[in-house]
Amino acid sequence: MERRDFLKISAVTGATAALDGCGKPDVQLIRFIPEEELTPGVAVWKPSICTMCPAGCGLMVRVMEGDAEVVRNGTLGLMKMGLAKKLEGNPHHPVNRGKLCPRGQAGIQVTYHPDRIKNPLKRAGPRGSGGFQEIGWEEALEELTAKLTQLRSSGQESGLAFMTKPLRGQRRELIERLLRAFGAPPPVVFEPFDEAVLRHANLLSFGRPQLPTFDLARSNYVISFGADFLGAWNSPVAQNLAYGEMRQGRPGQRGKFVMVEPRMSQTGANADEWIPTRPGTEGVLALGLAHVIINEKLRPPDAAGHAGSLIDGWSKGLIEYTPAVVEKQTGVPAATITRIARELAEHEPAVAIVGGAPLAQTNGLASALAVNALNALLGSVAKAGGIIFSPPSTPGKDVTTVVREPRAGFESLHHTLARQKSGEASAFQVLLLYECNPLFATPPGWSVKEALQRIPFIASFGSFVDETSALADLILPDHSPLESWLDDEAESGTPHGVNSLAAPAMRPLHNTRPMPDVLLDVASRLGGSVAAALPFKTFEEMLRGAFEHFLKGKGGKPVMDPDTFWKEVQEQGGLWSDTEISFHGLGGIDHAPVQPGEPGFDGAPEEFPFHFHPFPSASFYDGSTAHLPWLQEMPDPLSTAMWSSWVEINPKTAERLGIQQGDQVEVASQHGKLQAPALISPGIAPDVVAMPAGQGHENFTRYASGRGANPISILAPMIVPETGSLAWAATRVRITRLGEGKLVLFAGGLREQIHEHKHR
Amino acid sequence: METRPKHKWGMIVDLDRCTGCEACVVACHAENNIATVGEEEAAKGRAKHWMRVERYYEGEFPDVKVKFVPVFCQQCDAAPCEPVCPTYASYHTEEGLNGQVYNRCIGTRYCANACPYTVRFFNFFNPIWEKPFHLQLNPDVSVREVGVMEKCTFCVQRIKAAEIQAQAEKRDLKDGEFQTACAQACPAKALVFGDLNDPESEVSRLTASNRGTKLLEDLGTLPSVTYLQRDSWHDGKKS
Repeated sequence: MERRDFLKISAVTGATAALDGCGKPDVQLIRFIPEEELTPGVAVWKPSICTMCPAGCGLMVRVMEGDAEVVRNGTLGLMKMGLAKKLEGNPHHPVNRGKLCPRGQAGIQVTYHPDRIKNPLKRAGPRGSGGFQEIGWEEALEELTAKLTQLRSSGQESGLAFMTKPLRGQRRELIERLLRAFGAPPPVVFEPFDEAVLRHANLLSFGRPQLPTFDLARSNYVISFGADFLGAWNSPVAQNLAYGEMRQGRPGQRGKFVMVEPRMSQTGANADEWIPTRPGTEGVLALGLAHVIINEKLRPPDAAGHAGSLIDGWSKGLIEYTPAVVEKQTGVPAATITRIARELAEHEPAVAIVGGAPLAQTNGLASALAVNALNALLGSVAKAGGIIFSPPSTPGKDVTTVVREPRAGFESLHHTLARQKSGEASAFQVLLLYECNPLFATPPGWSVKEALQRIPFIASFGSFVDETSALADLILPDHSPLESWLDDEAESGTPHGVNSLAAPAMRPLHNTRPMPDVLLDVASRLGGSVAAALPFKTFEEMLRGAFEHFLKGKGGKPVMDPDTFWKEVQEQGGLWSDTEISFHGLGGIDHAPVQPGEPGFDGAPEEFPFHFHPFPSASFYDGSTAHLPWLQEMPDPLSTAMWSSWVEINPKTAERLGIQQGDQVEVASQHGKLQAPALISPGIAPDVVAMPAGQGHENFTRYASGRGANPISILAPMIVPETGSLAWAATRVRITRLGEGKLVLFAGGLREQIHEHKHR
Repeated sequence: METRPKHKWGMIVDLDRCTGCEACVVACHAENNIATVGEEEAAKGRAKHWMRVERYYEGEFPDVKVKFVPVFCQQCDAAPCEPVCPTYASYHTEEGLNGQVYNRCIGTRYCANACPYTVRFFNFFNPIWEKPFHLQLNPDVSVREVGVMEKCTFCVQRIKAAEIQAQAEKRDLKDGEFQTACAQACPAKALVFGDLNDPESEVSRLTASNRGTKLLEDLGTLPSVTYLQRDSWHDGKKS
């Protein structure tokens, strides 16, 4: 088919569909005058920022001309416009250097998703029933403004809550300023796979409340305690790039990679040596390695400095952590512990990584501090080939103000929930929701739904109706990221300070408005101190003001013409510091020495014999990308499953319980039960069962709703006491075969297990 | 008069770099207008992944090893898919690609049966893009209809665009000037695309590696793709 014909057909069918949608077949679709000039068939590349996970990779968007149905001034019409066609990594961006992960590649489907909310919505029918009616923006903004004005006139300013995914840059600044000026508490930050434990540990060990960066490209030995750094953890693209260099990027030299985890992750599948440990004993293993290194005088204990002083018994050489004792606790053979310890010490630079399940145990903080101390002992902190911290993105700004408060995440959620449950007087009256879905991603024991139900008015800026925004009274749909002004300050993944910036890559398709502009509009309607705190007409204006900070030379004078500067920043996709690795601020905070101790688990081993190991999925991350069909149909790297959930079971365990591949099993904890098909996998300990997170949405577009099961829905409300984070790996379960099930696997002909293909 | 074609396109898959992340799989869908088929059809083995990552387990718990192998059309020089096609829909291009002319294809599926790599995918029904997903379609790549076989083209649209551009600028193509969608996305740089006729190209350099092998080499299909085998621990040295 000729491209010309193809466009013609899509235009015609597009018109038909639109007419059906309007219910007015007598009205012809208007053709709008194009808002931009593009040469047909010629691609334009525009920088943007990936928002599919918190890594903050830079994008280049391929934009080409096409015909789209769009809404302008309340009228549906057809317009020739620039359409995003493909996302690539921005080759100049210091985090991902031109590369992109599968979730990033699929990010373009967010913009074109058929179930995007296209107009402001007002609840129709009982709350949570899913009934909404379309309203105009003026009505929506007036309603929100009226609710806020009402709070203010009754002196209940602290009754306003803003719940959001972790934010950086000017979106965060805007929201915080608005709440402060209004007199409301700071935003409640919610992140399902919360990194507060690691940030807090890094603050104590190194003085940096920040996710670490690993200079793997120059490492000779890498040991990861549970961190899926090649899959969905921290800054995966940067880590994959560096990992490739570690393996084959240096002449004659190849680094070793050892993975410690009870269930083989995609990352673990790449290890030279894969070591399963008992869940929650990863910190003990790290201290066992340190014991051997100190005991054999490969490093003196004081080489670990402050990070070592945080571990009880460190200065005496961790005498309780002999290989024999550590073997008993972790299940790792003593000879292996001794050998790996020697290899670590002999192959400088060596680096240890900790993340994921080990930190989601009740002793998670001590495990993180143990691994930090091991790194310090190896001399790998703030060194080439070791662990480094990205410098503050804004020169001269104190790093602790740039990086999120380590305890902000779940603790603020607990605080909010407690406040909501405590009674009328202090409870929240208005909740604003932005890009987070706590109903899907919190254990039932936290009763988030009940708490949110009690808030009289909820407004969401969501682009999709999900479990949480289904409770909203008002939905003010945001532009998609590709249609928005974006900025970001990467927390990790690079030795540079990074301020990413992106103008919209394309014009909006629907009758949506950017969340920051809506907030500025509401602020101006509220007037008074709130309007004064946010004197910007648009978010673009606010961003430009923030970036002008970088234009000032020594004496405060601009070093170049502001218009040229602003254009150049946009063309590059942001600003990054030239300086490589910054070592400022490494110090640490005094804290009573700790030991990992016994991890606590919910459920008696006799009744619930298996450790339950949920993991962020390669496709769906924490569940926020489950609505994208490319990711649903992407075979999981290890199971090759598509469009499904599954429960990973060790072959011997399965045999004992009479469970076969694809059988439907029930997984039950003390707090709930779910059903999913069994996947028999050799890469999992016999007393562990694992499940990917992300599926099991009740309500998240036609592609994800009612599909699979959500492992978070059976988790116990266990927490890591120091940060209030959910200890999502601390639940025990039992499994029972229910009968035949259905497991959809992708199988090419070269696969050794042809029978996997079978559909049951 | 016979002249040697200017380019011979080839790929490297470095299995020591590949981490099995599947970025290539999604990048290929995005670039090449590959429709998703949904759960029911996927269960019948009809999901279309021109690029897939094979996963092989070895050993039993706890001594488990895994190998990831990205598999896609090997653009064979002696391609079993070509001679079996009754309509010449599968043919050999001057630059060594296994071409697939969708308009000639009548859907006998002989080529898919002949291919030992299982990289050919049949359209059992017309592809569906729920509106407005159709706005994302790449205008440089034709969409395939029911009854037609499709497969990896080495992103021939990118090859052609770059060749035309270089011709217009009266210059030779530079190595690395363009890549296939999978190689461009690959975060670990496991996939390298380039011209095997250019002895200076990275793909030529890597093809000569002592780790180089071909997939199912014994079949004599002469693939244009070279797999660099995974290395192992030799006290910090490469093997």
